Amino acid sequence: MKQIIKRTKAYYCVECGKCSGSCPVARVNEGFSPRVIVERALSGMKGEIEGDRELWTCLTCEACTTKCPSTVKFSEFIRGMRSSAFNSGYTSRCSQGGLLHSIQRVQSYRDIVQNRLQWISDDLKTSTEGEVLYFTGCLPYFENLFSGFVNPLEIARSTVKILNKAGISPVVSPNERCCGHDLLWTGNVETFQKLARLNIEMIKESGASRIVTSCPECLRTLKLDYADFFEGTDIEIVHISEFISSLIKNNDIKLNRAGIMTYQDPCRLGRHMGIYDAPREVIKSMGELVEMNKNREESSCCGVSAWATCEGNSKLMQIERLIEAKSTGADMLVTSCPKCLIHFRCAVHNQIPVEKEKVDIPVVDLTVAACRALAGE
Amino acid sequence: MKSVLVIGGGIAGIQSSLDLANRGYHIYLVEREPSIGGHMALLDKTFPTNDCSMCILAPKMNECNAHPNIDILSYSEVMDLSGNAGDFTARVQRKARYINEEKCTGCGDCTAKCPSKVPNEYNGNLDKRKSIFLPYPQAVPRVMTIDREHCIYLTKGKCGNCKKVCNAGAVDYEQKDTFVDLNVAAVIVATGFDMFDPTHMQEYGYGKYANVITAMEYERMICASGPTGGHLETAPDKEHPGKIAFIQCVGSRDLQHNPYCCSVCCMHAIKESILAREHYEDIKPYIFYTDLRAVGKGFEEYAVRGEKEYGIKYIRGRPGQITEDASTKTLTVWYDDTVNRKVKGLEVDMAVLCTSLIPAKGSDKLAAILDIELDEYGLYKSRDELTAPLDTRRPGVFIAGYCQSPKDIPESVAQGSGAAARATEVAGGAYI
Repeated sequence: MKQIIKRTKAYYCVECGKCSGSCPVARVNEGFSPRVIVERALSGMKGEIEGDRELWTCLTCEACTTKCPSTVKFSEFIRGMRSSAFNSGYTSRCSQGGLLHSIQRVQSYRDIVQNRLQWISDDLKTSTEGEVLYFTGCLPYFENLFSGFVNPLEIARSTVKILNKAGISPVVSPNERCCGHDLLWTGNVETFQKLARLNIEMIKESGASRIVTSCPECLRTLKLDYADFFEGTDIEIVHISEFISSLIKNNDIKLNRAGIMTYQDPCRLGRHMGIYDAPREVIKSMGELVEMNKNREESSCCGVSAWATCEGNSKLMQIERLIEAKSTGADMLVTSCPKCLIHFRCAVHNQIPVEKEKVDIPVVDLTVAACRALAGE
Repeated sequence: MKSVLVIGGGIAGIQSSLDLANRGYHIYLVEREPSIGGHMALLDKTFPTNDCSMCILAPKMNECNAHPNIDILSYSEVMDLSGNAGDFTARVQRKARYINEEKCTGCGDCTAKCPSKVPNEYNGNLDKRKSIFLPYPQAVPRVMTIDREHCIYLTKGKCGNCKKVCNAGAVDYEQKDTFVDLNVAAVIVATGFDMFDPTHMQEYGYGKYANVITAMEYERMICASGPTGGHLETAPDKEHPGKIAFIQCVGSRDLQHNPYCCSVCCMHAIKESILAREHYEDIKPYIFYTDLRAVGKGFEEYAVRGEKEYGIKYIRGRPGQITEDASTKTLTVWYDDTVNRKVKGLEVDMAVLCTSLIPAKGSDKLAAILDIELDEYGLYKSRDELTAPLDTRRPGVFIAGYCQSPKDIPESVAQGSGAAARATEVAGGAYI
C-alpha cells in the first residue's frame, strides 16, 4: 500500500474534500467518500480498505482526479488498492460482472477458438492483413448478453462501413481478445497482462500500423495501459470519433442532417483521454448539438464501470443523467461508448422510479448515428 | 536632490513615495493605469476593522498628487533601466492618453457626450464606461484618458464629440506615445497582483452561471459607489440573495494552478459576509474554507465575531462542483463537510469565488528589464528571504508589497515604508 500511496501521490492529500464534493457516487451513496478512503490509507488501514465493499463502488470516472488540488491520482489509487484486495481474495460485486469477467478471463487462454466474426455481412469489406486494424472489443459478446435492449454489433458494422467508405478494408481478427480493461480495473492484473500479450502478438502479426477502436475503454487500455507492451513499435491508436471527424474535415465523407442531439462524454474518452471535441465535431456535421448542463470535464458518468458495481445507486445516477438529457429538448442522446449505451438503455428497460416521459430519450451510439447519416446511403 | 523611481502606484508604492518625499527625495511614481490607487481603490471596506477602503486611500493618493517632491507618471511603463545603484537611467514610456494633462480639469463634459460604451474593468465589468473616462470619481490624477482600442474617432475617424465639448481644449487626437529618461538613485518595484481568472475551472461554472461571481466583482457590487449602488443583485430578478456561498482557495493552494496561499481570501470572505449582513439582515453567508487562516492581529476575533454576531456558517471543505437550476438560476454547491464527514448539496442564490491573487501581468517582462529574478510563483525574488526580503539581486532595486510575496494591506504598507528606508541608504550615499 505504501508503494501505491507513493505512486499516486496520495500523501499530498490535505483532506480538502474537493474529491468527495465532485464525486457523483458520494451524492447518492452516503457510505462512499474518496477523501475518507485516502484518509484511511494514510493511516495504514490496509485491511479495512480491502474488505470494504465501497472499494468496488468507485466509478474511476476521474471527476475527482482531474481537479484534485493536490494532484492525487485517485483512480489509479483505487486501481492499485483493488489489485491488492484481489490478491487478498476479494472481488467486485456486480452480478453481471461475474459472468462478464469470466468471459474475459476465458479469452486469456491461448488456444481457445472464438466465434468472433459472424457479424461481418457480405456488404462489409475486411482483411486479414493490412495497415489499419479495427479492434472490435467486447461487442460480439455484448450482443449475446444484451440484445434484448441494444444492438452492440450495429456499432461494429457501422464502424466497418465508415472505414470502407474511406477506402479502408480494416483487419478484423478472429484472434482478438478482450483488451483487459475490466479485469485491470477490478484488480486482476495477471490476467490483464496475459490478454495484453496475446493482443500484441495478434496486432504485430496483422502488420497494422494504425488501430481504430469504437470503444473508449479499449482506446485508453491500448494507448496507456499497453504502452509498456508496445515498446519499440510505432503504432497509432485512434478512437472512431477522431477518425470520423478527420474524414469530415478532409471532405472525404458527408453526413446528412439527423436532428438535434445532446452528447454524453464517456469518462474514458473525456477525462481519461482528453477527447472532447472530435465527437462534437461529428455531431455538429450531422445535426444541432445542445449541451447538457454538465458537459465535457464536468460530465456525469453513466453509473457503472468495469462491471464492478451495479446497484440501486447506479440506476439513480443513470436516471438523473437521462432526465438532464431529455430536458435539453434534443431528439436523441448520443454517446461514443458501447457501455454508456448499454447502461442507459438498461436503466429504462425495467421499472423506473420516475414517469417514463421524463427519461424516454433515444440513446444512440455516435458511430451508428454517423453511419445512418452517411450521404448517398 | 536625489531622485527615486517607484514602479506601481498601489498602496505599497504610494507609501514608499510619501515616505521618501517627506524625507526630501524627489519621486517619480510610474503607474501603468490611468490612475494611481491600485486594487485597494476598488475595495469597499478593509478587514478586520471594516474601514472604508477609499476613505483611507484617497487622502494618500491626493497627497501624492499635491506633494512638491512627487511626479506622478500615470498611464506609463518602464521600458529600460541602465546604470548602477546611485546613478540609474530609467526609460519610461508615456502612453498617449490623447489628453493634455496640463489643460484637463476632469470636469466630465466629454464623458457625458461620448457615445462609445465598453465593459468597465474598474467595476468588474458589471457595468459600462465610456471610451473617454475617469476610472472612478476619486482618480488621481484627475485627468481623462481616451481608450484607443474603442474610441470611435481613433478607430474610424468619426465622432469627435469630446473634442467639441471640451472647454479647456484638452483633447488631442494627434498625441503620440513619448519616452522620457529619468536619472534616479534607486528603484522600488511595487507592482502588486492581478486576479486569477476562474473561467477555465469549469466545476464552478464562472462565466456560465449568472449567479457565480468573483470576490472582486462582489467588492464592487457591495460598494456604495459601485455599479449597483451597493445592492447585491442576483439573476433573474435582481433580488438580493438569501444564501451566499463564499468559496475559498479558488486557484490557490492548488498544484494545478497556484500552489501558494493567497493569504487574504479567508479574511476578505469574512469581511464580505459581514458586509452582506450589514446591508441585509436576512442574508445567510456560508464560507467554504480549506483552513481558516486568520493569523493577523485581531483576525481571529474578527472570524469569531463573524460567526457569533453575523451568523456566518463556516464549513470545512472545498466544494467539488456547482450546478444551476436553469429556470430559477439558483445554485447548488456540492461539498464534502469534512468535519461531519458527509457529502451534501447546499442550495444558494449566489456563489462568490474567492480567487487567487497572481503576479501582475507583465511581471516577467519587467523582471527582465530590471534584471531582477522571479521566484517559482512568478513573484519577484528577494536577495535573501530572511535577511534581505526587500532587496533584489540588483543593488539599488528594491521590492515591496504583494509582488514580493502574498500579503494584506497593512503588511504592504509596512513593506512600502521598509523599501523606502532601504532606498534612502542608496540615495543618501550610505549603501554598501
